[in-house]
Amino acid sequence: MQKWFPEFFDKYGAFTVFDLLVDYLKSGRIKIDKTMITQRAAYHDPCNYCRKSEEMFGHGYYEEPRWILGQCVSDWVDLFPSKANQYCCGGGGGTLLTPFKEERIHYGRKKIEQIRRCGAEMIILPCHSCHGQIKALLAENEIDHIPVKYLWEVVADALVIK
Amino acid sequence: MTTITDRNPSDITQSAPLRPIGSITDMCLACGACAAGCPITGISGFDPRKIVRMVLLGRDSELIDSPLPWLCTMCGKCEHACPMGINIVNIIRTARGMVEREKVPGMIHKGVALGLETGNNLGLPEDDFRFIIEDVAEELAGEPGYEDFSVPFDKKGANLLHTLHNKLVNTQNEDLVHWWKIFHVAGEDWTLPSVNWEGVNWGLFSGDDAAMKVFVERIVEHMERLEIKNLMYPE
Repeated sequence: MQKWFPEFFDKYGAFTVFDLLVDYLKSGRIKIDKTMITQRAAYHDPCNYCRKSEEMFGHGYYEEPRWILGQCVSDWVDLFPSKANQYCCGGGGGTLLTPFKEERIHYGRKKIEQIRRCGAEMIILPCHSCHGQIKALLAENEIDHIPVKYLWEVVADALVIK
Repeated sequence: MTTITDRNPSDITQSAPLRPIGSITDMCLACGACAAGCPITGISGFDPRKIVRMVLLGRDSELIDSPLPWLCTMCGKCEHACPMGINIVNIIRTARGMVEREKVPGMIHKGVALGLETGNNLGLPEDDFRFIIEDVAEELAGEPGYEDFSVPFDKKGANLLHTLHNKLVNTQNEDLVHWWKIFHVAGEDWTLPSVNWEGVNWGLFSGDDAAMKVFVERIVEHMERLEIKNLMYPE
């Protein structure tokens, strides 16, 4: 958008999923019941919102999702390493759409180690590719009792309905 | 001074965009920090340092004809570790773009081609799309608190444009409702286009800038046609 249609930003506003959720929560347009989710959750940083966004746009979305999680989940932890040093899930770059499944699952071995080490009972992330890949990884490693949820799914699940 | 790339011309290094720091490939120290950071080094012959070497030696076609560019997840850990700021990910993406389109493995290019032709990577006709969306919306309206919920297609003057990842429309219908619930409770004035609703841009993965631009342009067209104020960047 910045590259091909820079004039777009003179006419329209544009928000990421994080901007919107932070705005809804801070302005009180939505309210959350933090007691709805009782499991220990771990947060996974997608490459594109973090390292790559920081490089391309000068801002990595590290703090916003963590702030949102703090509003919705009482017990959440970081994987190690996290943020800019986070391991890729192995499902990026379109690899979910290629026939190289064996390589893709092997790639994710570090992610499984990270998940096992932190004792997570739920994985929360804001990316469709990571979601598909981490679900596949958990199933391959026979720990698919651990649910994988989108960040906005957790918000939606914990909404206080007026 | 003659550089290594002068001696071994490479179309890939010529066309791959540099990182903000502007380091050209010649500056590679062959230190291997990229390979150490990359979780797939050693798998099926993949190694980011080897890929940088290949283009430095002008062996473009060897890279383009191999499966190596497609094994990369473009996660950027190699670049994050690189002390010289080499544009390793763009080298790989540029190589992908130079592969003949019919030789692109799996669904990536097929999805791009379908998306260009039909407005979504599934090739789903508008009637079927509306049927799926309305069916899931009706189900949500059966839940307490969402009784008056419906999906506002093509609403002129709406505040927020929402697009969809094709997998939610395809196999994962249950994940459509999360944003809908949030919008409903927040009282958001949002809209969903009934055509060209695809929020995914697989041109990013296939290295196809021309296709990528078409998909971005469609979003601009929605904003203009429907006089929408704000865009929610596709998830």
